[in-house]
Amino acid sequence: MEKFAFDDQAGFLTKLKELVDSGISPKKISIFMPYHVHGVEELLKLQQSSVRFFALVGALTGIILGFGLTIFTSYHYPIITSGKPLVSIPPFIIIAFATTILIGSLITFGGFLILSALPSPKNIAEPEEYGNQFVILVD
Amino acid sequence: METNQKNYFLQLEKDVLAAMEKPTKAYWIALGISASLLLMWAAIWAYQIINGLYVTGINNPVGWGIYLTNFVFWVGIAHSGTLISAVLFLFRAKFRNAFNRTAEAMTLFAIMVAGLFPIIHLGRPWKFYWLLPYPNQRLLWTNFKSPLEWDVFAVSTYFIVSLVFFYVGLVPDLAVVRRYNSGIRKKIYSILSLGWTGSLKQWLHYNKLYLFLAAFATPLVISVHSVVSWDFAMSVTPGWHTTIFAPYFVSGAIFSGTAMVMTLVIPMRKILKLEKYITIDKFEGIAKVMLFTSLIVTYAYIVEYGIAIYSGNIFETSIFKYRAVGDYATIYWIMILCNSIIPLTLFVKKLRRSLVYLFVVSIFVNIGMWSERFNIIISSLSKEFEPYAWGTYSPSFVEVGIFIGSFGMFFTFFLLFLKLLPVLSMSEIKEEVH
Repeated sequence: MEKFAFDDQAGFLTKLKELVDSGISPKKISIFMPYHVHGVEELLKLQQSSVRFFALVGALTGIILGFGLTIFTSYHYPIITSGKPLVSIPPFIIIAFATTILIGSLITFGGFLILSALPSPKNIAEPEEYGNQFVILVD
Repeated sequence: METNQKNYFLQLEKDVLAAMEKPTKAYWIALGISASLLLMWAAIWAYQIINGLYVTGINNPVGWGIYLTNFVFWVGIAHSGTLISAVLFLFRAKFRNAFNRTAEAMTLFAIMVAGLFPIIHLGRPWKFYWLLPYPNQRLLWTNFKSPLEWDVFAVSTYFIVSLVFFYVGLVPDLAVVRRYNSGIRKKIYSILSLGWTGSLKQWLHYNKLYLFLAAFATPLVISVHSVVSWDFAMSVTPGWHTTIFAPYFVSGAIFSGTAMVMTLVIPMRKILKLEKYITIDKFEGIAKVMLFTSLIVTYAYIVEYGIAIYSGNIFETSIFKYRAVGDYATIYWIMILCNSIIPLTLFVKKLRRSLVYLFVVSIFVNIGMWSERFNIIISSLSKEFEPYAWGTYSPSFVEVGIFIGSFGMFFTFFLLFLKLLPVLSMSEIKEEVH
């Protein structure tokens, strides 16, 4: 395994470009950065993060749950309040709106944890530290 | 360039972590005062629970006293946190990264404090969980058509989403804190940082997550305070039953929130020696947001009168007359002075860039926004429809004590935050300066 470490972003990007151009498969390259350097993913031709699917599924679950809860409970114990219809959609939208955001963000967060393999017991016990360096590891 | 960047990063980490080191005497004094106020808060609440709500000043017709004023006040304070961290993130406003961590922490603490007020206001606070929909023996569910129930959902969603957002923002920085610590502290920060290494894969997912959380949180900035405003606007009480309440409350919330951010960050910057990162330019950015929302709030004050007069409704017109010249006129004019007149001075660039001046203005705005909520709630309730059912209200020592104690709780949490977590978002500042 080869290791290249840089203190600045420019040197790191140049080296990375060099490595990719020399024909090394992006799968063999692992990178560590102190902050996200934009453009690295294009350079390695990586696909977009699939966190977005979790966001979609979470939001949809939330909206269904919000309407489901309000409509189900209205029928489960039918009691007319304020002379409104049992199932009054306008007030239920407010509840569904809140649950969409709540479940949406929680599932997105869960998705992020799964996709990036966090929490990582190995790195909690013995953290892999690169400080503020930009590191390229080539298998 | 190479060494410059390296040195800057090191300096940044050193400066931010220095803020977390052994507290000074001034810090202990501040914490002591806040914690005593918190204890006082607990003692007074216990006194109220033992004796019942008769120890407060609330009466019939004024059933909502300053407890509800405080609730709206603190929820309002909470708003700028999300505005600064989510909305300004989506708009790529550069000045946000000096404030976002503090503002997010402030949001969390303010919601915690706010959420307690409706519970304190309950006659039997230990039954507060009846507000939550759960299958129970009585087979009865909560009333989802009630604005008070919307509040439960809006505020608890707001708290949980803000907590997730705050934590996610912290993860890469906690990994930095972990590196500088040893022993048990290192263990704790290692667990909190989830074993973050900063690999490309983590950053890719992280950036998407942050973007989505910002997108999820942005509608909350508007929705939560709209729902709070509907607690009032959905009723038929004169002075409350109006369509402008939602935007009026939201702009007021952002206005008071930016003021509270300044009240907190101006001394914090000085005490923790973070002048290099929280620059005057960044304060100017936030001062502009404050000035802008002040104008919206002033516009709402004028429109309210316009609607009342134009409606020709005698109850509506008399309540607005009552606000300006009635029993609570002093509070009304304090509100106008603090929210509409004093912030106008921020049009002067020199004043906008003076931190001492901004601090003073922010205190005035805090006072003004509390007065606004008092004015809305109390004046409308004391003179509703029937003259024989009119009455006035003044808070008892229990209510005043709990109000002051709530600041104790807020500042205790905030002071603990200053010493336990990094107060600036290091990874974002690194990304900005490279």
